[in-house]
Amino acid sequence: MTPHIGDSYAERNARERAQALLDPGSFREVLGPFARLRSPYLAAQGVTSQSDDGVVVARGTLGGVRACVVATDGRFLGGAIGEIGGAKIAASLELARRDAERGTPTRVVLAFDSGGIRLQEANLGLLAIAEICDAVVALRAHQPVVAVIAGRVGVYGGMSIVTALCNEVIVTEGARIGLNGPDVVETEAGADEFDASNRPLVWRVTGGRRRFAQGHATALVADDMPDIRAAVEDAFARNRPFVAIERPDFPDPGLEREAFLRAYGVTP
Amino acid sequence: MIETLTFTYPASAHIARRAHVGVVASGNCELLLEPSPESSASVIVRTSVGGYATTWEAVLARFFARHSIAVRLEIDDFGATPAVVAMRLEQALERAR
Amino acid sequence: MSAWDTRRIRKNQRLARAASYVRSGVFESGDAVAVLESVLESGDRVCVEGNNQKQADFLSRALASVDPERVHDLHLLISVLGRPEHIELFERGIASQVDFSFSGPQSLRLAQQVADGRVRIGAIHTYLELFARYFVDLTPDIALVAADEADASGNLYTGANTEETPTIVEATAFRNGVVIAQVNRIVDRVTRVDVPGDWVDLVVVADHPYEIEPLFTRDPEQIDDVQILMAMMVVRGIYERHRVRTLNHGIGFDTAAIELILPTYGERLGLRGKICTNWVLNPHPTLIPAIESGWVQSVHSFGGELGMERYVAARPDVFFTGRDGSLRSNRALSQNAGMYATDLFIGSALQMDVDANSSTATLGRIAGFGGAPNLGSDPRGRRHPSHSWLEMTSAAPEIRRGRKIVVQLVQTFRESGVPTFVERLDAVELGRTAGFPITPVMIYGDDVTHVVTEEGIAYLYKARDADERRAALAAIAGVTPVGLLADGARTQELRRDGVVAFPEDLGVVRSEANRSLLAARSMRDLVTWSGGLYEPPKRFRSW
Repeated sequence: MTPHIGDSYAERNARERAQALLDPGSFREVLGPFARLRSPYLAAQGVTSQSDDGVVVARGTLGGVRACVVATDGRFLGGAIGEIGGAKIAASLELARRDAERGTPTRVVLAFDSGGIRLQEANLGLLAIAEICDAVVALRAHQPVVAVIAGRVGVYGGMSIVTALCNEVIVTEGARIGLNGPDVVETEAGADEFDASNRPLVWRVTGGRRRFAQGHATALVADDMPDIRAAVEDAFARNRPFVAIERPDFPDPGLEREAFLRAYGVTP
Repeated sequence: MIETLTFTYPASAHIARRAHVGVVASGNCELLLEPSPESSASVIVRTSVGGYATTWEAVLARFFARHSIAVRLEIDDFGATPAVVAMRLEQALERAR
Repeated sequence: MSAWDTRRIRKNQRLARAASYVRSGVFESGDAVAVLESVLESGDRVCVEGNNQKQADFLSRALASVDPERVHDLHLLISVLGRPEHIELFERGIASQVDFSFSGPQSLRLAQQVADGRVRIGAIHTYLELFARYFVDLTPDIALVAADEADASGNLYTGANTEETPTIVEATAFRNGVVIAQVNRIVDRVTRVDVPGDWVDLVVVADHPYEIEPLFTRDPEQIDDVQILMAMMVVRGIYERHRVRTLNHGIGFDTAAIELILPTYGERLGLRGKICTNWVLNPHPTLIPAIESGWVQSVHSFGGELGMERYVAARPDVFFTGRDGSLRSNRALSQNAGMYATDLFIGSALQMDVDANSSTATLGRIAGFGGAPNLGSDPRGRRHPSHSWLEMTSAAPEIRRGRKIVVQLVQTFRESGVPTFVERLDAVELGRTAGFPITPVMIYGDDVTHVVTEEGIAYLYKARDADERRAALAAIAGVTPVGLLADGARTQELRRDGVVAFPEDLGVVRSEANRSLLAARSMRDLVTWSGGLYEPPKRFRSW
């Protein structure tokens, strides 16, 4: 008897994710691999470049509405952002804001799987993140910016900051959102404080369920495309303004513990 | 440093469309395959794992002997084994048909 | 007046020396070193339970702490020399001779100890061979074993991780050796009796539960297209073709891929119930989808697998389980089952020569064999027929006999870019340099019936002679130096004669070889397939 194994988002590559998020048949890639927008900096450092620099930009529709999905490829250098890939992300957001100002809005979904800034491009990556953050905030003034964090890498570093700026963040239990990677935390704080090899611990602290319980994520869904698409649709339909989490919404630690346990399906 | 290798093979068969497969991840490679107006297959390999020119030649020669297609092929490689390269070549051809 | 019970007398003397530490057969963990120093005598043969999986690590640590002035030059008998304190025994002079089967994690340090003259290797064995010698000329004087529970009578419960405990204890107990068991806890009544108390002399509750590793778990996320292509060829070109019902899978990602495509690709081919019905292997989590889909009638296991306990207990029709519900494993019996009662063995090799001999020997390491040579050999003592076994004779000789299907799975190149196929195994030179009496070959070419690469299958059993065997191998050796020597015309002939098959000859479409063919593509999927019964160990969790 075959159990229900979802139509996994995590299993797909960036291009397939964009395709699966957009309405069937509406996917059109912008500046795809054959545009050959490679990083100019990697070859000199003995690193093979990828023809799309690890970022897929796709136009199409979402629920019939003009849309753009920007998906990062977590398998290329851990999805880390360099100059070209960063420019693709920032430009997509800026163009969407221009569309909004002209009265022909384009929905934007950020399907991120990224370790943060690409070390080989250092300051250019930092600059790109700054531009992306700026562009998210500017677009947010017009419409919700929706992030889907449901891949195997998650978002770390600057890309987690970008994610935190989004109105809506859709996660699965396999997702992770964190600033420093688990190994870095262990190196800095010691294994007694944080044992990076304790994978359930890593997910308990930075995983989808935790982030949803804390309010950093706004929807928690199964790794199943119909559920993820529905959550994206709901996110745009809700049209919620951005709510900053200045501090966790649990002044009483006991309340946080309750919410945390509930998110794990444990009756407190 | 990145090693760049070029190869050319005589070819005549046509492919219907361009194709892109693979990813530049460890042990893997990305392929860009496009129809060519020439009667040859011309290949550029960019790899971060140098010193395997003869192996690349052998793998590509085999493939183009089996499928004499007139194409321009770019390969971005991150240490794929001949098994993986052969797989990607067949996958690209399948998509291009 | 000669004495015929010297071993019994000696045993009683040993136990008498330790008597002050022992109350009702039990001693305190704090007295472990003192007890060992009392019971052991220099030169003793000591069998330490360093199994493939379970480790009597409390006792081995205590053994490594004895005073070498009092106890020295022990002869260590051990299946897997895998822990650092096993090496300390040689460093400290506590042991100076060893007979073992596999050394995996300590292979480099072992080689160094040998080079420094601190230990002499008696022989490197296969598992079953080593157990066999416990009953002939290597009977242990002392056995240090690990169990989950003991009761007041010394009955032991070893549960899913029974492995070789009963075998070691039987050999030791019935020739008046001393059996000492470390347990996780002492209980009023053991969950079930795996080793009778009459066989056990001393019990100690260890400082923490015995060490055990999940060696047989493979994450489906790591399986790639090439492995899936090879798995498809195996299912079509070997399992289907030879109607293989009984089999043993060596552990690896490539065999995990086969397990995971049975419910999909195998189902599509209509093979459920016709192939892969009875298995000898550990409870591989990657077998769960096939079990749940109704492919598997029975599984016998060498040992358990961490995380699979509840799943196994919930499937007693499939696995060997006791009245208490938990798995009963037994390495000796399972190895025997794998040898005589399965029609097929399949495993992977790191290096193979032109005659299909394979080896995992690496420079500077003494790794050993484990169980593969037993399972990957043709047991000439078999007499009962099956379709698959009889099909392996290609000619029709007067003396009709069958042959085991022994399959080697190898990609033409290793991840490092080094060719798998070579003219001569590294093992030849390594064996010579290290002074081994035999070349450390894992599986002999003359036992191999099929070799599968990403290029195709060589049906070696069909080859007429050694020359044809070599040609068949070269035909699937890709662009390795061996493969480049293949003669194109000869290869075509071999394909026509069915001695070689490329994927297209088997009806296997390369572009279909992708991960969508896997019934489970992540650890989470395996959990889902098991209805939540499978509990992956921490290192395999991504949620």
